[in-house]
Amino acid sequence: MSHENPKVIEISDGAAIPTKKDFGLFSAWRIAFFGALLVLIYLVVTRPDPYLRIVKFLPDGIIVTFQVTFFSIALALLLGLITGLGRISRNKIINAIASTYVEVVRGIPLLVQLFYIYYALGRFVKVPDMVAAVVAMSVCYGAYMGEVFRAGIESIDKGQTEAARSLGFNRRQTMFYVILPQAWRTILPPVGNEFIALLKDTSLVSILAVADLLRRGREFASETFAYFETYTVIALIYLLITLILSKLVSLMEERLNYYGKV
Amino acid sequence: MEKSDPIIIIENACKYFGQLKAVNNVSLSIQPGEKVVIIGPSGSGKSTLLRSINRLEEISSGRIVVDGLDIMDKSNDINKIRMEVGMVFQSFNLFPHKTALQNLTMAPIKLRKMAREQAEEIALRLLKKVNIQDKAHAYPAQLSGGQQQRVAIARALAMNPKIMLFDEPTSALDPEMIGEVLDVMKNLALEGMTMVVVTHEMGFAREVADRVIFMDHGAVVEEGTPEHFFHNPTHERTKLFLSQIL
Repeated sequence: MSHENPKVIEISDGAAIPTKKDFGLFSAWRIAFFGALLVLIYLVVTRPDPYLRIVKFLPDGIIVTFQVTFFSIALALLLGLITGLGRISRNKIINAIASTYVEVVRGIPLLVQLFYIYYALGRFVKVPDMVAAVVAMSVCYGAYMGEVFRAGIESIDKGQTEAARSLGFNRRQTMFYVILPQAWRTILPPVGNEFIALLKDTSLVSILAVADLLRRGREFASETFAYFETYTVIALIYLLITLILSKLVSLMEERLNYYGKV
Repeated sequence: MEKSDPIIIIENACKYFGQLKAVNNVSLSIQPGEKVVIIGPSGSGKSTLLRSINRLEEISSGRIVVDGLDIMDKSNDINKIRMEVGMVFQSFNLFPHKTALQNLTMAPIKLRKMAREQAEEIALRLLKKVNIQDKAHAYPAQLSGGQQQRVAIARALAMNPKIMLFDEPTSALDPEMIGEVLDVMKNLALEGMTMVVVTHEMGFAREVADRVIFMDHGAVVEEGTPEHFFHNPTHERTKLFLSQIL
């Protein structure tokens, strides 16, 4: 049957996406979010030195973290779509390339990939650190996204393809007019999850001389020796960002809820 | 092409699924405007044969010619051929992300390059014809099975096909909804549409069919007018089948 709810893809290395019932007064989300916010405000107000100084030092890093995240996710989505389509392709060569890409990337730790792509790129072309970081992150996450896209596409009933093909749509038209618009709703929750996971993983690029949030924190800490205080703030900020994003994702999911089902 | 030429020609069609012979050497020709009803026990290959006509199943050997074009010939664009052959499925297969109206207008707009206004006008007329115009802006999930199937028939008709294929169109419906779908199909038959229908609805076969075909184990066992078929079947297997279902 064609109108059953889509299959749920369980990939959860992002953050717990809150559901409606998690929005109660004492939900984990609220406790974590307001708790982190209160602790941060309390520290800044009661001990401006060093906490206010730390907080003032970090916004540039937050911007860089978001930049890396957005560019990487955009590129990863594109790579993921191509990979997902490649994985279901009837063309054996395309299929093999896409599958090999996924297997290789999944088998190498992200940090090793970052180093590898960064230095491999650096060996042949001179690119800004930021670009190298984005390329590395997208190559890695593109493989995960590819699996999400593949699962989303495969979750759509075969009857949809048959109906579209019977009307005269070719394979490509069927994919873009009929399958992907439906698969999107299955794909979105795990993509939201991947987005959050990617944001957290961008902290790894601090090793590549990219001045992201963590890197800025390290710089501050090494100058002031306020390691404990700095990393406390860093952790709280990552937590707040992640919690806000997970809420946004859940709101978006609700809006995209199933067609015509009230 | 002359009018008396068959619009569908099936010659020695065979279809294997591994060891299983789903369709075993079937030959059949269907005239424009003819209504052919295919019946038979489940697993008799009737759906596979029907789905071969628009190449949803590729036959393993033999030849199928639709509207003068060999559908297995790769130089003929199968998508062009399918535009002339409407298909109605047991499970409706409406596009759930589109409204009823959009389900009807999508293919004419994208494939026939029809203007949206014109496509919508035709779609509304067809929805009226299948008696469901008030649900034009409803999504499939908001419609009953019978309503969905009527929209699905209208969707196929929106491409203005020369042939309509029906693959057990009422088998997934609650009993009280079967009538409304059969009525739509009967009206379509009266308008002269070429129809090939796989069904278990013997009343429909008796009333509408020009020819009834009985299949078993992938082969055509017996064919004839409904008169002949229901009153004087010659083969034992046909008699047995009819005695079981009537």
